[in-house]
Amino acid sequence: MIEARGLTKRFGGVIAVDGASFHLKKGSRTALLGANAAGKSTLLSVLSTLAKPTSGEARIDSFDVASAPAALRQRLGVMGHLPMLYEELTAVENLQFFARLYGLRDAGARVEELLRAVGLWLRRDEPAGVLSRGAHQRLAIARTVVHAPDVLLLDEPETGLDESGLQLLDELTLATDDTAITVVAATHRRERVSSWADGTLVLERGRVVEDTTAPVTEPAALRVVQ
Amino acid sequence: MSAGIAVFEKDMRLIWRQRGGWFSAAAFALISVLVYSFALDLAVTEVRPLLPGVLWVTFLFAGIIASGQTFAAEAEEGTFDAMLLAPVSSTTLYLAKVVSNLTVLLAIEVAVLGLGTILFNISLISFELALIVVVGTLGYVALSTLLSTLDARVRARGVLIPVLALPLLVPLLIAAVRATGGALGEPVGTAPWLLLLSVFTLWATLGSALLFPMVAER
Repeated sequence: MIEARGLTKRFGGVIAVDGASFHLKKGSRTALLGANAAGKSTLLSVLSTLAKPTSGEARIDSFDVASAPAALRQRLGVMGHLPMLYEELTAVENLQFFARLYGLRDAGARVEELLRAVGLWLRRDEPAGVLSRGAHQRLAIARTVVHAPDVLLLDEPETGLDESGLQLLDELTLATDDTAITVVAATHRRERVSSWADGTLVLERGRVVEDTTAPVTEPAALRVVQ
Repeated sequence: MSAGIAVFEKDMRLIWRQRGGWFSAAAFALISVLVYSFALDLAVTEVRPLLPGVLWVTFLFAGIIASGQTFAAEAEEGTFDAMLLAPVSSTTLYLAKVVSNLTVLLAIEVAVLGLGTILFNISLISFELALIVVVGTLGYVALSTLLSTLDARVRARGVLIPVLALPLLVPLLIAAVRATGGALGEPVGTAPWLLLLSVFTLWATLGSALLFPMVAER
C-alpha cells in the first residue's frame, strides 16, 4: 500500500510536486502519466526515499518515507532515468555487487537466475558499457529486482527496449503475476498502459490532476482532482 | 560491514579498470618529485628543510586530481543513488569510500617517498614519517571525500574541491609540513605538530561522517 497526503517537494523556489494525495492498494499497478517536468520523476524520488518531502507525508506499507527510509529500502526496487549500473563492471559483477548490498545469502544462484531470465547469461562476463541500449536496460531490470522487492518504482522503464524487451519488462515488473508486488511506473507509452496498469495518476505542474486509482466503490472509479 | 567491504572491493576493481584519474594523479606526483629534484641543486642546496613542502604539495595536488574521480562517475551513471537506495547506512558507504581513496592515495605516496629517497639521497622511509603521512592523508581524504560528494551533486562539477577543500585544509597542511620537518631532523618538535594533525584528522573524519548523510541526500 502506498499513501500520500499533501506531498510537496520544492527545489528552491521551484515546486516539483505540489500537494499530491493518493492511495494505491497493495498489489496495484499504477501508471504515472504527464508531460516532461510534470513532477513524475521527483514524485518517484520522494517515494523511493532518495529525496525528502518538503511537506506532507507519504507512507509505504505503513513506513513513512521521510522518517523510516532504512526500514523501507529492502522492500523497494527502483529503476531511474539513469541505468544505475557500473559500465566497467561485467553484468555478473554488477548484479553480485547489488546483491551483496542487499545482503542476499544465495547471491550466486539469484544472479544466475536473473541473468538467464533477461537473456544475458551468455554475456555475463562482458562489461555493462559494451552492451547495447536494450541489453543495458535488461540488466537494469535485473538489478531492480535482484532483492525481490515488494514495491517497484519505475521511471520510464520502457526506454530502449524492443518488443521482446518489453515482454520481459512486463513479466518481471509491470505485469508480473505476483499480486504481492505493488508497481508505480512513470511512462510516456500511453498505448501500453492499458495492458498492465489498473489505474493512472496524471500529473501536471506537480499536481495530481486525474486519479483513476480510487477504490472501486467510488462512482465510475474516476475522480478528477482539482 | 559486509556492505562496506563490497563497496571497497567494487571501488578497487573500478579504480584498476578505469585507471585514468588515479594513474594521472600518480604520474603527476612522480613527475613533480622528479622536477623538484632537478630544480633544487643537490650539490649546493640543503634540501632537507624544503622536502616537507615538496612532499605535501605533491600529495595535495595528486589528491585533488584523484579525489573528484570517486563520485563523478558514480553521479553520471546513477550508481551513487543506487547505493543510497540499498539498506546500508550512508555512514558505511562514506567510510568505505574513504578507505578506498586512502588506499590508493597511500600507494601513490609510498611511490613518491621511494622515488624521493633515491633522487634526494635522504631516507624518507621511517616509522615516524609513515605515521605522519598516514594520519595527514586520512584527514585529507576524509574531507575531500565529503566535498567530492557535494561536488558531484552540483552542476559546476570540479569547482568545489579547490574552492572549499584548500582553505579547510590549511591547518592540516601546516601541521603535516612541520611534523614532517621534525621527522626529517629539522629543529622543530614533531610531537605537538603530530598531535595537532591527529586532532584535525579526528575532527575531519567524525565531522564528515556525520555530515555525509545530509550531503548525500537530495
